[in-house]
Amino acid sequence: MAVLGNKKSRISDEIPSSSMADIAFLLLIFFLVTTTFPKDKGLAIVLPEQAREQEVSQKNVLHILINPTGAVNIRRGESQQEQTVTPDEVEQIWRQGVAQNPKLIAAVKTHPEAPYRFMIDVLDALQAASATKISLQILE
Amino acid sequence: MGLKSGRLERKSKASSQIPSSSMADIAFLLLIFFMVTTVFQKDRKREIEWVEAEESEKIDEKQKDILNVWVETNGDVYINDALRVMEDVSGVVRPFRRDSERLVVSIRADQNVPYKYVDGLQKELVAAGALRVVFAAELEQNITRERR
Repeated sequence: MAVLGNKKSRISDEIPSSSMADIAFLLLIFFLVTTTFPKDKGLAIVLPEQAREQEVSQKNVLHILINPTGAVNIRRGESQQEQTVTPDEVEQIWRQGVAQNPKLIAAVKTHPEAPYRFMIDVLDALQAASATKISLQILE
Repeated sequence: MGLKSGRLERKSKASSQIPSSSMADIAFLLLIFFMVTTVFQKDRKREIEWVEAEESEKIDEKQKDILNVWVETNGDVYINDALRVMEDVSGVVRPFRRDSERLVVSIRADQNVPYKYVDGLQKELVAAGALRVVFAAELEQNITRERR
């Protein structure tokens, strides 16, 4: 060290500020690119137009009745027989039904006091079974 | 450039380079500016328990074409942070429908809302001609479903 004593060290003791801009811009670009605005998610459906109620033959209708307790009753076409199922089983029932009758329409009838989530459970099951003809009604 | 003309021999003190030391400040300023001005949600936060659905899919529509309608457990309907009476909803929605051909109404209802309010809302939307509707729902994970 004594020999090199009066020779100044070549290494600067300052933080190099010239690359600071690059770092900052890199951060800026990183945040700009990675910012994703949260996209809304949900179950899409197209409501029927007003005053275009169609008469459908009862035998093409699968009635799905939703009770305030969350129990789901299935009624097929004209028969008065009801079958109690869980929302998840609706998927299977729809698949079977539509295989027998391609013109099948799902009529989801929800009790006025039934919590909304039970209707969503059934709608979810129907969409999982790729049902397209869904009618949302209120149980009277 | 006048190398021999004596007086001009001295180099100008002003550097011909763009000062790079302030570049960092500019970049950070921009960074902070964008961080501060980024707004994520226009609406006020609402106490809503989301419904969950496995088939929940992203709405591929521009933000300006989506109208959020909130329904709280007691049946209160909020559109753009304003409380609306159910009967007025169609009147409120109609101008939005007129402005945007591709309007999608996102129904953000609490999971315990009695269905009669959702049904009433649907009827109002049909009256307003807003037929494209999305029942906003969180994506349900399979694990949670099996546990149920």
